[in-house]
Amino acid sequence: MQDLYQQESARLLGVAKRIARDNALAEDIVHDAFIKIWTRAASFDPARGSARGWIFIVTRHLALNFMRDNAREVQVSEHSEMALHDLASMQTSSGNVDSFDYRARSGRIYVCLEQLEPARRNCILHAYVDGYSHSQISQKLGTPLGTVKAWIKRSLVVLRECMG
Amino acid sequence: MTRSPEGESPDNIDELASEYVLGTLPAEQRIKIKKRLAQDADLQTAVDAWEQRLLALTELAEPQPPSALLWRRIERSVNSTDRRASGVAATAKPTSWWNLLPLWRGLAGTSLVATLLLGSILLTRTAVVNPTTYLVVLVAPQNQAPGWVIQASNPREIQLIPLEVAQVPADKVLQFWTKADGWQAPVSLGLVKPGQTFSVPLDNLPPLEPNQLFELTLENPNGSQTGKPTGPIQFIGRAVKVI
Repeated sequence: MQDLYQQESARLLGVAKRIARDNALAEDIVHDAFIKIWTRAASFDPARGSARGWIFIVTRHLALNFMRDNAREVQVSEHSEMALHDLASMQTSSGNVDSFDYRARSGRIYVCLEQLEPARRNCILHAYVDGYSHSQISQKLGTPLGTVKAWIKRSLVVLRECMG
Repeated sequence: MTRSPEGESPDNIDELASEYVLGTLPAEQRIKIKKRLAQDADLQTAVDAWEQRLLALTELAEPQPPSALLWRRIERSVNSTDRRASGVAATAKPTSWWNLLPLWRGLAGTSLVATLLLGSILLTRTAVVNPTTYLVVLVAPQNQAPGWVIQASNPREIQLIPLEVAQVPADKVLQFWTKADGWQAPVSLGLVKPGQTFSVPLDNLPPLEPNQLFELTLENPNGSQTGKPTGPIQFIGRAVKVI
């Protein structure tokens, strides 16, 4: 367990920090993830993936649960969606620029991400890496909520077909 | 998004799994799916597949060195979870008797009552038991060889304990008698089998006395018909007070 900690704690903390956006909270999440791994180690099924992958998955979901449970975010109403749309068109749209440096990575997922338009790619990555909700992505990209939802839904289907 | 679990197509399940793993579902739906995962093997498989598909994206978060305190915190928590581990495992099964509080409360209560009861009995008894402890060694009248011992550490009964298996003719039995100094005649305490310990309750007799006589006589199979010893004495001895 200490080996796992020494090898992965920095990367795990990075994953948690990115979603929780707070150092102390991220450390709490990594702490909880290790305890969960420790108490459930007996129930770990290697057929479902690597042990290393497991702790990343646990950490990410703990962080997501925390953020969703504590979300007091203001739902974007139809009205403000229109305003956002206008605002976005006034700004240089972030929709056509990649927010993530994903190209240098190896792995099937990165090849498949290439097939998506940059804006849709950003939706997926903001959701997975930053743990953003639909409405947070909508605000971030200045894209209407309904569009974000539809993009994500379709992008996931494309990724599914690409990756098998 | 709020479809009933029944009648979901594989595509619906895959869509749900993908959005769950991506993290875009709101809190209520996340909780619902987490509960479903335990019973829904198809959904679990779809979620696992999506976790593996997207796992490489975790690389995009920049690593961040943890503070020195974090490992110590984890270690401390792990140690305290370890101590509770058996408890945790047992609570998973709701019917486990090990965690039935009423059972242990009941047993603890009963034990306390029993302890107090036995303790008080001991305190009140010791004063009575000790002064009336007697010992009798029964010997064969011819050669004084000891054959039986009588123990009377309990005022309610005496025990006749064989030291060897006495030889008794096939058509005869051993009968056990006692007579204190002031008594008119011996009283029968019953028939005794050679080689076996014999307990006699003393409820119907006066308390034991020093020098009280005990003897085993050879009698016909159903014991003496007259109520008095008729056959030859096999073993005899007198009570000695033990301090």
